[in-house]
Formats: sequence, structure tokens, C-alpha cells
Amino acid sequence: MRNTKQAVRQAIIVVSLLAGGASLVLAHHSYSAFEMAGTRVITGTIKKMDWTNPHTWIWIDVANEQGVVETWGIEGMSPNYLERRGWSRNTIKVGDKLSITFHPLKNGDKGGSFQSAQRPNGEVLGMTPPISDK
Amino acid sequence: MDRTTHILFGYVTASLMFGPTGAAQSVTRKAPTAAEWASLAKLPDFNGVWESAPGGGAVGRAGGRGDATAKGGPAPAAAGAGRAGRGGGPSLTPAYAAKARARTANPAEDAQAANCLPPGLPAIMNQPYPMEFLLTPGKVTIVIEAYTQVRHIYTDGRPLPADPNPLFYGTSVGHWEDDILVVETVGLAEVPRGLTFPYSEKLKVVERFRLTGPDTMSIETTLIDPEAFTAPYSMGTRNLARHRTWTIAEYICEENNRNFVDDKGNAGTKLSNPLSSAK
Repeated sequence: MRNTKQAVRQAIIVVSLLAGGASLVLAHHSYSAFEMAGTRVITGTIKKMDWTNPHTWIWIDVANEQGVVETWGIEGMSPNYLERRGWSRNTIKVGDKLSITFHPLKNGDKGGSFQSAQRPNGEVLGMTPPISDK
Repeated sequence: MDRTTHILFGYVTASLMFGPTGAAQSVTRKAPTAAEWASLAKLPDFNGVWESAPGGGAVGRAGGRGDATAKGGPAPAAAGAGRAGRGGGPSLTPAYAAKARARTANPAEDAQAANCLPPGLPAIMNQPYPMEFLLTPGKVTIVIEAYTQVRHIYTDGRPLPADPNPLFYGTSVGHWEDDILVVETVGLAEVPRGLTFPYSEKLKVVERFRLTGPDTMSIETTLIDPEAFTAPYSMGTRNLARHRTWTIAEYICEENNRNFVDDKGNAGTKLSNPLSSAK
């Protein structure tokens, strides 16, 4: 079990290392709804993880500047894509603390396109990033 | 039965079955013989699960991006393909160059794939998901993970239909030229198919599949359209890698799709009801 976890972690790290220079064709949609030139970081607690097609969705509770907890939705690559690259449906679990870097929605809604995440212990979770259609 | 005999056998069988009119819809499929199953072993081994290799090639960039990228649109005439390939797109006839210019007026922010409409051929062959090739007597079947799609390519010698119904993937027949599987497809409806230039109902897609190594395959794709293009247009060669430990996974796009493009062409994302997702 420990070895499996280590293997998954290594694979995830490899993915994140590859991510910087990777060139990926895009299947499902363009990224015109997202501000691809900018990133934002939020830190909170995982409320729900949708391990679903055509995209994974990470729902994370984040306290705003007034201390009010708001739920954000962060879109990630598909489970099919991620499972072949070291992820599982349990890589991110309800209750996990995460800092997520993402491209925010242009319309100001509380959502965005996943770029990377970091656990409190420093472990980085990467998906191959989307390519802006610009 | 060697390959030439195999092809010849197919043609003879087909001509006997279909008669001179080539009515493909009326084909009666007979149970394959042991010899027909055995003859498959002499063909190149395309069986298995394949995915675009990193840096897959010209079409690798064109189809996938074009699929999701209606905007940007075609520039006039020869620059019509935009990102569609090294050649910069086909040379268009005057009537289709005019169509290309008209399409640039109000480009949509996204393609209908955002609403889960699968892209047609050739973009469906260029998704960031694997495809499984299955060779059976008289047929090559490609099971495409993205959008849970299937292509049926008949290699039994039947002719292309003379008056095909327009379809997303058209109607495909294939034949072997030595170790190359040549697939011709006609009857392509005007649907999102990753092409940023206009085409007519006479469009024919020719794909040449060949093994380039033990676990590598190349696909050379050419578009022929005597009404819209002044010459055949090569989309270049794309490379696939075989993944012998992979299987095809399910991909139900409607399961939890939160992306959309509306009828005005505006793209968006729905964040409502996060806990109502399917699982």
C-alpha cells in the first residue's frame, strides 16, 4: 500500500514536472470563459470531488475577506486522462486542505480552470495544463 | 491466402454480393470462415489501444484545437485553415473563398463540443484520449474513447456509396496497399469537424494508416473536395503510440458537463448545484 502511494505520488510529481512544457490538444471546450493570462490562488477545505467526465470538478470551501465561507468550483482534466497519469478518485478527498492555483472565470463567478494544487506538507499536485485557445 | 488474394477475394465477394450497382446498404454479412480469420494474422498488427504521441504532428495540432476553437476563424482563401496544418489550409475555389470570408464575421467563442456534441471526422481522430483498433474479417472498427464514439470501416471490398447520406463520420471503406490501410470516407455532413475552412458535400477524407515501429503508427490525412478546393489538401502526418496496458474507459460527456456555448456563440461555465453532480 505504501509503495502504491509512493508510486502515485511520484507519478503525480512527474506529471507536474512535465506540465510546464507539455503541448496538449484540447478535446472538450475552449478556454474562452477563463482568464488564461491570469492566475489566482485560493486555500480551503475540500467539500466535494467530482470524479466525472468530461471534467473533474474540485469543490472547495474558502473563507472570503469577511470570513464568510464560500464554495468555489475548479475544473480539472477528465478522470480518464488523470488515471493514466497517476491520479485516482482518492487523490483529493473530502476534508483535504489544499491551496489551488487556477485561471479564474472571466465573469467573476467563483470558479476556474485548475493549474496546480499544493498540500500543507508541500506536495504539489499537477495536471497537464490546458492550452489557451488564444 | 496472402494479402493480395485477400483483397481480391474481398472484391470478388463484394461484387457478387452487391452486383454492379454497389448498393452498400443491402450487404448481407455472412459468418467469417476460418480462413478469413486466419488471414488477419498476415495483416499489420493494428490491434490495441493507441493515443496521440507527444508532439503528434501537424494534424495533431490542427484537429484538436480546431475542434474547440471556432473563433479565430478562417482568413480569406488560402489562409483559411489557420491552425489547420503546415500548408496553411486548402486553396479554395472562388465561391468557397467567399464563404470563408463570410464566416469570419461573427465567430463563436467555442465549438458545439462544449455542449457535448461530438466532433466529426477528422477531429474525432485527434482527441487527447485513446482509440482501440479492432480488425475482424471484412472490417476495421475504431472505438474512440472521447465522447464514446465508434467508426466502422468496411474492408470487404464494397464500393463507396454513390449517393451517401450526410453523417458525422461519413461512410468509410478501406483497403490494404501493402502494409498501409487506406481509408476513404464520403458523405460528410456540415457539422463541427475541426475544420476552420468551408467544404462541400463532395468532401472526401483519405487516411493512410501505417505502422512505423513495434508500437507506433502514423496517420496521413488528405482532404479532397473538387467543389471547394482547387487541389487536394494534405493535413500532414500524425503519430500515435500504442499503450499495451491501457483499456478504453467510459466517457459520458453529459455526465457532469458544466461548459456550454449558447445560441449566440458565447461560451460559459455553469457552477450551480455543486452537490447535484452525478457522483
